[in-house]
Amino acid sequence: METAAAIHTGSNSSPKLNYLTNGSTLRSWLLTKDHKRIAIMYLITVSVFFLMGGLYAATIRLELLTPASDLLQTATYNKVFTQHGILMIFFFLIPSIPAILGNFLLPLMIGAKDLALPRINLLSLYIYWIAGILALIGLMEGGVDTGWTFYAPYSTTFSNSYVMLVGLGIFINGFSSILTGLNFIVTIHTMRAPGMTWFRLPLFVWAHYAVSLVMVLGTPVVAITILLMAVERVAHVGIFDPAIGGDPILYQHLFWFYSHPAVYIMVLPGMGVVSELIANFSRKRIFGYEFVAFSSIAIAVFGFLVWGHHMFVSGQSVYAGLVFSFLTMVVAVPSAIKMFNWTATLYKGSISFDTPMLYGLAFMGLFLIGGLTGLFLGAIGLTVHLTDTYFVVAHFHYVMVGGQVIAYLGGIHYWWPKITGKMYSEFWSKVSAMLVFVGFNLTFFPQFILGYLGMPRRYAAYPEELQVLNIFSTAGASVLGVGLVMPVGYLIHSLFFGKEAGDNPWLLPGLEWRTSSPPPTENFEVMPVVTWEAYDFGEESGLDIEGARQGETRPATVV
Amino acid sequence: MSTHTHDHSHHRGLQHQFDNMGQQEESVSIGMWLFLAQEIMFFGGMFTAYLVYRSRFPMAFAAGSNHLDVVMGFVNTLVLIVSSLTMALTVYYAQKSNRTMQVVMIVLTMIFGATFLGVKAVEYTDKYNHGLVPVSGLNKRIPADEHAAPGGHDAKPEPGSPAVAEEHSNPRGEFQWHEYEIIEHTIAKQKADPNGHYLTAAEKVGYMSDPATLTLDKDKFRDKVRIFYFIYFMMTGLHALHMIIGLGLMLWLGWKAFKGTFNADYYMPVEMSGLYWHFVDIVWIFLFPLLYLLGRHFLHELGK
Amino acid sequence: MSDNHHNEHDEHIEHDHMNIPKYIGVFAILVVGTILTYVTAQIDLDGIFVGANTLLALLIAFSKMTCVMLFFMHVYWSPKLIWMSAVASFFWLAIMFSYTMQDYLTRGLGVFGQ
Repeated sequence: METAAAIHTGSNSSPKLNYLTNGSTLRSWLLTKDHKRIAIMYLITVSVFFLMGGLYAATIRLELLTPASDLLQTATYNKVFTQHGILMIFFFLIPSIPAILGNFLLPLMIGAKDLALPRINLLSLYIYWIAGILALIGLMEGGVDTGWTFYAPYSTTFSNSYVMLVGLGIFINGFSSILTGLNFIVTIHTMRAPGMTWFRLPLFVWAHYAVSLVMVLGTPVVAITILLMAVERVAHVGIFDPAIGGDPILYQHLFWFYSHPAVYIMVLPGMGVVSELIANFSRKRIFGYEFVAFSSIAIAVFGFLVWGHHMFVSGQSVYAGLVFSFLTMVVAVPSAIKMFNWTATLYKGSISFDTPMLYGLAFMGLFLIGGLTGLFLGAIGLTVHLTDTYFVVAHFHYVMVGGQVIAYLGGIHYWWPKITGKMYSEFWSKVSAMLVFVGFNLTFFPQFILGYLGMPRRYAAYPEELQVLNIFSTAGASVLGVGLVMPVGYLIHSLFFGKEAGDNPWLLPGLEWRTSSPPPTENFEVMPVVTWEAYDFGEESGLDIEGARQGETRPATVV
Repeated sequence: MSTHTHDHSHHRGLQHQFDNMGQQEESVSIGMWLFLAQEIMFFGGMFTAYLVYRSRFPMAFAAGSNHLDVVMGFVNTLVLIVSSLTMALTVYYAQKSNRTMQVVMIVLTMIFGATFLGVKAVEYTDKYNHGLVPVSGLNKRIPADEHAAPGGHDAKPEPGSPAVAEEHSNPRGEFQWHEYEIIEHTIAKQKADPNGHYLTAAEKVGYMSDPATLTLDKDKFRDKVRIFYFIYFMMTGLHALHMIIGLGLMLWLGWKAFKGTFNADYYMPVEMSGLYWHFVDIVWIFLFPLLYLLGRHFLHELGK
Repeated sequence: MSDNHHNEHDEHIEHDHMNIPKYIGVFAILVVGTILTYVTAQIDLDGIFVGANTLLALLIAFSKMTCVMLFFMHVYWSPKLIWMSAVASFFWLAIMFSYTMQDYLTRGLGVFGQ
């Protein structure tokens, strides 16, 4: 039995192998079972899709500089916003945090050697690549113009675009999501280190458990929906055609049954990251741990009960609308619980404004606005005025970009030293964060006003009096774009020229900081035994701040 | 400290990320059940569509259902149940390290599975021949001058003969429907008792050329029956696809069992394959009454 | 919830509870259930209440499914987590059915001019 006396200096400069250097052939990467390498490959692919989606966004904002549909014809504009939505939602937002940070960190945070089912993990990645390639081919062939929601009967009967190909890509992508979620649930149940009880888990893990439930239970329904739409498109049976007795609203019910929980797939991992950021950069135990943990589960469960709020004006019955509206108000409560707990965590904490914390704080403010405007949209009276306007666009960009993307960036910056062993430039990362924050608000806040004034979404042309606000929005988008592209620059720069980060650069007690940066392939040299609570900054957790400052790390055991 | 090694950690089937076989088995088991959970949701979408349309057009569904071959459906249900038994026995014999009986049971399971698919193929062919495939052009084309029954819509089957015995002309291979007895009977009941609930609100509009006088429009009724057949083909088709995948799984399992891979110490792959097979059986347990039997009790009223 | 028990649980999940006679017994129940569902479908039970036939068919189908799950799929002897996975999926199915149907069932109620 090994003793724990070995305090290893785990810096990258030693000739010890880590997961990056352990095998350098293409084969060793493409056939890897190591969750960390799979996470890196996801990171690269996801970043590519993000940039592509961003280019489409830039095109939209350029077109909307002027009231007339002058840069793009309407038919082309329809394709552009559809592409933007599909790439961003299915190929960026849904995989981003779970497939990259979740894959990388989950085994580290629970003290395991790998996920429970590594080959399934690799299969998830392959499926994601195949799906992405199919979708890209569809886009290059000419794209889709139905909106990312593929509503029948337009998608099934009238759209003269590559619905089948892109739909197939999304269908296949769903299985990547399902398998990742399945893997996470199994891992969290069976692979925790000795002493790592459920209530000692980092909240990042709880959030990923909740999101995995949604992935496994919700994604198959969108799969069958796309299949039905595709069959209908080919066979013209009329299942969604009201002239023959079909009901287009059934398509919407089936579609939104997944797509509403999908937005929680997108935001829950972000909330998990924010819990980590707030607690760790306040150097304080999170306030109300159980409340935050259970609120993740509550969001996952309640998220399945509110899909009809996307269909208030579709023709569903008013009584159904009432039920969905009420439940929409209820689902806001667990999110609010998190906000209150994060705020209470900040209070009297020892806050350091490193870049990840800036992103964490930004999330709190921006998600607050996004979430509250969601309540506006959930109220039936208001929603009739605001549906299909830019108010909706602003709302979901506040929660998805101001929420999820900000959290994603925060997580990348926070765990970058662990993943790569290098530290990025604090100056440039702060500049980038500021640009993102300012640019984002300048882009999307005017859109609330535009929506209230009645500017419809998905339109290339708009009344002249709305041009000023649109110009603000496009200006903001330019700033946001710069801010979002900058990390590509300084992060890649850090890989070659960055300072060695050491094992625990932020001086934190989490399990992932108790192994070298980058970690070895098997994650821990000595498998940990956990005896302390989550976010325990005291002595009992074995956190050795002086040692960490000097680049040493006491292994994650307490002798 | 680190988990102590146990004899089992040197088990040849133990994967590197697990500490012992118990952990591996538990993980694989939870993983498989989660996979089945998502399969349930996948079929669930189709069941939802079934639920919605049956609640709106119950008589069209009943009429459509009565033209399915209930004997074949019944036989298929029994065939699948037997295959579930042989599958369960496969796991049993694997646990008992009985290689011969394992393989025998897998082969039997495959035979029954293939029988199921064979019967389905016969059923589908029959639908093709009688113009019951809901897609235009995918039915047997019968030129107008051959085997044409006199008249189109109004031809009634001979008393005592099966419902779709004769062939109507079908030059473009379209969906055809010729049986209106049930719906006419129900409309008559609704007219006789206007306050009774014999037709749903959707039916009172959806089948009629004139909702006020409840005059049946045969084309509109046929369209609703077509929706039933669409759901029938989608659900049984998806189920058959899962069956084919199951047969492939059995082939792989049979090969490994033949090589002696499974025994009392290592039989999880057999158990997991069994879970999949039983799941496919359970889906059919619901499909049979919901698709084949839903309208049988109306025939009683029509004196059949 | 379950603590990490892979130290104490080195032995396999026990399945020595079923034997061949018991399997055949469950099989017999399933066959009887199938025959029952076939026979009762021919009888018109709408006199009891509309939809009685469907309800009976579903009850029989649920019972058959329960037999298969508990005894063929060994859920009866499986850890609680497996029970929960099985039950949870049906619960979610129920959510999808009921919340979709609550739209369709309330459409014709005539208020607000629908």
